[in-house]
Amino acid sequence: MPEMSIAESLRQAIREEMARDERVFCIGEDIGIEGGFGGAFTVTLGLSEEFGHDRIIDTPISEIAIAGVAVGAALAGMRPIADVQYGDFLFCMMDQLANQAAKMRYMSGGQVSVPMVMRAPVGATARGAQHAQSLEAFFTHIPGLKVVAPATAYDAKGLLKSAVRDDNPVLVFEHKLLYGSKGPRSERGALSPRGEVPEEEYLVPIGEAIVRREGQDVTIVGKLLTVYRALAAADTLSKQGIEAEVIDPRTLVPLDKELILDSVRKTGRLVIAEEDNLTGGWAADVAAIVAEEAFMWLDAPIKRVSAPDVPPPFAPVLEREYVPSAEKIVAAAQSLF
Amino acid sequence: MSVDIVVPPLSQTMDTVVLVEWMKEPGDQVERGENLFAIETEKAILEIESPASGVLRQVLVEPGTEVEVGEKIGTITGAGESLSDQEEAKPVVAQDAAPPPAISTVPGTAAEATIAEPRERPVEQGQRILSSPRARRLAKQEAVDLAVLTGSGPEGMIVEQDVKEYLSKQGRVGVAGQSVTMSPLRQTIARRMLESHQTTAPVTLTREVDATELVHLREQLVEDLTDEDVRPTYTDLLISLVARCLRRHPALNARRDGANIIVDEQVHIATAVDTERGLLAPVIRDADRKELLELTRERAELVRRATDGNTTPEQLIGGTFTVTNLGAVGIDAFTPIINLPQVAILGVGRIRPAPAVHEGELCIRNLMHLSLTFDHCVVDGAPAAHFLQDLAELIEEPSLI
Repeated sequence: MPEMSIAESLRQAIREEMARDERVFCIGEDIGIEGGFGGAFTVTLGLSEEFGHDRIIDTPISEIAIAGVAVGAALAGMRPIADVQYGDFLFCMMDQLANQAAKMRYMSGGQVSVPMVMRAPVGATARGAQHAQSLEAFFTHIPGLKVVAPATAYDAKGLLKSAVRDDNPVLVFEHKLLYGSKGPRSERGALSPRGEVPEEEYLVPIGEAIVRREGQDVTIVGKLLTVYRALAAADTLSKQGIEAEVIDPRTLVPLDKELILDSVRKTGRLVIAEEDNLTGGWAADVAAIVAEEAFMWLDAPIKRVSAPDVPPPFAPVLEREYVPSAEKIVAAAQSLF
Repeated sequence: MSVDIVVPPLSQTMDTVVLVEWMKEPGDQVERGENLFAIETEKAILEIESPASGVLRQVLVEPGTEVEVGEKIGTITGAGESLSDQEEAKPVVAQDAAPPPAISTVPGTAAEATIAEPRERPVEQGQRILSSPRARRLAKQEAVDLAVLTGSGPEGMIVEQDVKEYLSKQGRVGVAGQSVTMSPLRQTIARRMLESHQTTAPVTLTREVDATELVHLREQLVEDLTDEDVRPTYTDLLISLVARCLRRHPALNARRDGANIIVDEQVHIATAVDTERGLLAPVIRDADRKELLELTRERAELVRRATDGNTTPEQLIGGTFTVTNLGAVGIDAFTPIINLPQVAILGVGRIRPAPAVHEGELCIRNLMHLSLTFDHCVVDGAPAAHFLQDLAELIEEPSLI
């Protein structure tokens, strides 16, 4: 079984889905131009040579156009895979995503559907406030959108393929530090979560979380990069006699809350780590679900390890303080004992 | 002023005991008369009260260690006091790592710095108890009053572990779906039961007995004794009968000591009492010579003390035979485990009205079962059966006593 980075496994997923279904096409900025990188982070590299520019469509620098074309094409029966270079630019296309894509199926009483995928890189990587945000929570708040957040190469391929085949608009969030640490577009400090990715067909179902590490003393829920920070924190905690269970939800909407609740019922303690700002964040929602549905199983307050309520700073020193580190997760977990 | 904690003399024959558990940690506040530590003798686990009020400053002996009677095992000081200079040199003072206090006006010594400040009890009367939902859940399920617990969680909150530890100390094991460490008492019971089962050849004889006359006798006694402060129970009556019967069957009133069999001249009956912490078997001395009322009063007191956790060491040792009654909870017959080093134990079943043949007529009689377990290594079947036969006859005609 070949080992792949997340960027490579996403590319493989797109390749397989485009070969499987001719309605599938890609649209984005600089995703297929000759001599380009294959999008901002190499995911579509080489695909225009395989599938041609009719199916790997480069657009002007206009996110509103990308989203408008994708929503319209999906309504007309195509299955677009659109992307933005940085997730921050999703704000440019909020009307298309929030008012159109998310609502058409409801407003038409199910007569039309919007089977589109929107891929978006997130995460702070020394690029300043407009190229560093983690926007997942905004989209989990909009009914009608599905939201996935793969953290491994295996999940990246399996979830993207499921997203393409889903009849609802699906946001796929990818962390910039998880694409891989090698290659022309690798970010400083990137992890290289390479993993075995089957060459054959497989899907990772949307809506299934996974336990990345078993433990009985505290549950740590992370997503994207914070899954890895949580695993590092768990190693440190283990040396102190605290065995953490690390859960990767993989899908944010619909959320596999049962897995999280089961884990909390076992451990009695919960830390949620995410890179988004604290207030009104996804962590707050997970905390609320657990407080509502497993309150009597809690043995300590729920802790959130999120970014503070400021824009991501540009200065590397400040950014290091801003993002949730393994050390912060360790400290949060320790405070529960 | 500091007070030494010493191992109290428990009986004339015992020189050493094992320290099983400290119920307080260094730094904890302790009241005079509050249980402070537990020791294990040959016979039982005993909880020993604190000799003084103050702060447990120093613990010299770890659980599991054999200690001599009279040995100093710890120190209690007044709150805020430290140990004297002389005592600071003793082993508790794991001193090298701890920096001396930076500010000399603090009247603390280096030794004190290693001992945690006494933790405030989380609640005073009327104050809100800080506890986690999970702790409350378990406490409710196990009917534990949170006010008796001390929190070890964040901000002094009572967490599940505190409730579990409390339950474990209480010897209560059954927490559904959860693993709780056996309490020292539970472990001792387990060890004793296994030892008995593994070192004896237990045989249980059962026999149905017509207890109609016993029931009449008790009804009569209850009626006659309305002015008295106690009423004999069936257990009291049976102990009295068993004790008298044992005088005629000394083989069952014996102990095994290695290759020797020691037949006891006196009859001391141990009687099983189910307490919150586990099984105890306090002893009624010379039960064969005591008047029924005297025996009844004495046993009531023993049961009360056992239930309250105030059994004294003397009350648990020296039994020569044990009676255990499960009749009150509807058991007919069972196979009790011999209470070592005794050689026999009588299990008493419930008394119930049932069809029986009496003097050639089918009628309703009050029947009960007796279950006698004896160690076949020491006693053969025939003498045991004879004892049971005699006892059955006494029960059937109890007025003989």
